[in-house]
This record gives sequence, structure tokens and C-alpha cells, in this order.
Amino acid sequence: MTIKDIAKKVFLIEIFKGMALTLRMMFTHAVTRQYPEERREPFPGFRGLHALVRNPDGKARCVGCGLCAAICPSQCINIYTSESKDHKKVVDRYEIEVLRCVYCAFCVEACPFGAVVLTPHFEYSDYSRDALYMDKEKLLSNWDKFMTGKRAEEYFERFWRPKLEDFTTPENQPVFRGKEG
Amino acid sequence: MIETVFFTGSSNWMLNIVFIIIKIAVVIGVTMLHVMYATYFERKVIGHMQVRLGPMRVGPHGVLQPLADMLKLFFKEDIIPANADKPVFKIAPIIPVFATLSSLAVIPFFEGFVIANINIGLLYIFAMSSLSAYGVVMAGWASNSKYSFLGGLRSSAQVISYEVAMGLSLVGVMILSGSLNLSEIVNAQQGYWYGMFLIPQFVAYFVFLVAMFAETNRTPFDLPEAESELVAGYFVEYSGMRFALYYAAEYIGMIIMSSIAVICFWGGWTLPPMLTDAIPALKAVPGIVWFLGKVYFHIFLYYWVRATVPRYRYDKLMALGWKVLIPLALANIVVTSIVKYVI
Repeated sequence: MTIKDIAKKVFLIEIFKGMALTLRMMFTHAVTRQYPEERREPFPGFRGLHALVRNPDGKARCVGCGLCAAICPSQCINIYTSESKDHKKVVDRYEIEVLRCVYCAFCVEACPFGAVVLTPHFEYSDYSRDALYMDKEKLLSNWDKFMTGKRAEEYFERFWRPKLEDFTTPENQPVFRGKEG
Repeated sequence: MIETVFFTGSSNWMLNIVFIIIKIAVVIGVTMLHVMYATYFERKVIGHMQVRLGPMRVGPHGVLQPLADMLKLFFKEDIIPANADKPVFKIAPIIPVFATLSSLAVIPFFEGFVIANINIGLLYIFAMSSLSAYGVVMAGWASNSKYSFLGGLRSSAQVISYEVAMGLSLVGVMILSGSLNLSEIVNAQQGYWYGMFLIPQFVAYFVFLVAMFAETNRTPFDLPEAESELVAGYFVEYSGMRFALYYAAEYIGMIIMSSIAVICFWGGWTLPPMLTDAIPALKAVPGIVWFLGKVYFHIFLYYWVRATVPRYRYDKLMALGWKVLIPLALANIVVTSIVKYVI
């Protein structure tokens, strides 16, 4: 041990350095955000409450293929379909048990039509389980409530782009793309 | 006339008793208020040191938080474990509160204001502060829980290693002032131009500070209640008012130890004569202002250290007590005695 080290130990230099730091920090601004008064918009891509996409004609975009229910890790999506008189598939019930959802958004990624989305809304706590068991009507009204306006459309376009629209490797991905021409 | 009687006592013993009761009520009331707001300021200071806000909800900036806490603790269920040693379990929390509150009796808050001006004040304080450790040990034993028991064991070991260093650190002050009476210790410091024993006794002050932290079970020596190891240490099984008594005792203990540090090393309610000679206007300020200011600094020091230093390892703590602090304090006594003899 050099004399410097001994002096450091005897005069508690490190402790005083730490004390100076904490004192300095006492006079800086706190980073705390006082939540109910000071709200902040969720970041783009935030995964909140579920919604079923409503087409411009007012009907649900979902076709009832069941891919979302198949990929769901917590198996909280229930879909019941039947055949209509003109031999088309009809989605009778589409239900999500929100309390069991883990917000992985695999359902959104799996959906070939981009028919299910996770909205940025996150303040939906409730006292009953019933209120958090979302049927088709509730999910559609979630779309009306939380995914309206231009911003929501952009959000949908940017983050939950349905795989149906472009199945190509992203342009910036360095891959072999076959022979040119 | 009534003022001199209030401070020095009269020949009428009835009047004396009435005045003493009034003094006790004032001191206990003010101390309890200080305890309440010490908890609030601890949370605020540590919060801001950790770049957060601390209590903000109850009242503006959370100033009513201590009241809310008190109400909550008062109405909480009082749980006594089935296997606890019930009489000891019930007595244990009263001992530290009793011991720390009775230490307040000998502390001179300002010129002439002491409830009991006894000549062995310092000794009495030591006796009372070691007595309060019994509350901790008894709680650890009576709870019949492993965590409390470990907390109690640690506390007794800590008391053995730190009481000695603490007592020895104040011997230097006793040598210089020639008295154990706390008022006389303060007056003795006025005899020097610097007006504080802090300057000749800086080694003793350091030893006293470290022992003070250990004595009141505060970080970095909060081993008896180490949250991360022993859940809550000796008071795991306590709830409601009994828990609040321990909490109050801890904070009263902090105030007592800060007061002792102020009285023995910082000149109590006085300012250095050098300073009062230079600025005579300072003499007009009542002594309680200086006294409280210095005590608040020490209490802030408690919070400051708590926000900075991590907990000591158990064997390191014992080693520090026996191998560093006691030799330091002994060396200080020797040097002080020689210097005092020569001069």
C-alpha cells in the first residue's frame, strides 16, 4: 500500500466523495412524474388495450381465420364461426379475456388482414372480471374510442402493418435478392 | 420574577414541582413534534438525494404525511404472535421510549433550561442509552422468531463494541471541561476563543460520530434492523402502536445523540466568543436557535450518511469498533491528558 492509499483510507476520501455526490443530487430536479396530474402520451408502438379493426363500411375486418387464437401464448382469444346461407364464413363471437393477455402482440403480427390491434390506451382497470372480458362489440367500440383520427391511422400503418400487404424482405436488409434483371 | 423562578427554582417546593411538570410537558411535546417531522424530512431529504420527490400527496408537498402515518399506526391491529413470550413482548417496546425520553431530562436546551441539572449528566445519558438496547434485545428474544432473534443478538454485540468507544471518546471532553454536568461542559467551552471542543477534540468527535450512528442503529450500522437480510430485524413481529414506539424511540435517540454531540463538541447553545466579539448583534439571538440549528445539522447528517453509505458487513463492524475506534479514543485520551497537564 502506498502512502496515497493509506491517506485515502484514513481520511475517508471515498466516503466524502460519495457524500458530496448525494448532496449535489439533492439540489437537482427530481425525475418523478406525478402520474394522475402529469400524464404523458405513450410512446408510439405502445401495447395497450385490444381493439378489433372496423372497416369503413362499419363491419369488423376480422374474417375468423383463427390465426390469432392459434398463436396466442396465453390462449385468451376465443373465436366461434359458422357458415351463412350463401356459404360464407361468419364470425359469431370474438372474445378476448384481457386479464390473461400478456401483451406480446403476436395476434397482431399473425393476423393476415391487420384486423386486431393493440391501442395505446392503458387506463382500463376495473372492479369486475366481466368488464375486462371483451366481446366483439366491446372490441369494436374500443376501436371507435381509441383508434380514431389521423394519428391513430398513422400508428396502425407504421407499427401493425398487416403482413398481407408486403411479404418482401425489408429494403435495408443485406440479403441475396436473386440475379438482377 | 416568575422567569427566574421558572429557570432556577424557588424555595416553594409546590411551585417547583408545577414548573418542572410544565417543563417536562414542553420538552416532551416539542420532542414528539420533532420526531414526527424528522420522519417526514428523512423521507424528503433521502428522496431528493435519490432524485425523486418523497411524500407529496398528503397536504401541500406532503407536510401532513406524519399525521396520516400516526393515524394509520394508531388504528392498526395489534398482533401478538401465539408463541411469543407475552409479558416481555409487551414490555420491550416501552423500554427504549422510556429510556430515550428520560435522557431528555438532563439536556440543557439553552441557558438555564434543564429539567434536572444533575452533575453526572453525561454518565446518566450513557446509562439511559445502553438501557434502550435492552428493549431491542428483549424484543428479539420475546418475539420467538429467528429474524428478530438475530436482530437482537446483533444489537447486543453492537452495543458492547460501540458503547466503549463512545464513552472513551467523551473522556477527552470531560478532561478538558473538568465536569460531567452538561451545562458546565458548554460553559467550559466558552473559556476558549474558538468556543467549541470540536477543534482540539476532532479525533474524539470522529469516534463519537461513528459510535453515534452505531448507537442509534442507523445506516451504515443498522445491522439489528437490516431490511435486506433480517426483514426488519428485532421488530419484525411488532405492529401498530408497539411498532410506532420503536420508531419513535429511534428518532428520539437520534435527537438525544445529536444533542450530546452539539453540547460536547459544538458548544451547545453558545457561539464561539471569537464570533460574538466580532458581531455583537449575535448575542441578542436566543441560544435555542443555535442549539436547534446545530442539532438539525446532525440530524441531517444522519439522513445524508444514510443516503450515501451502504451497510457495513457484520465482522467489519466489530473490527472497526474494537480495532480502530477504541485505540483512537484511547490515544486521544492520552494526548489530551498530556497536553492538559503541560498547559
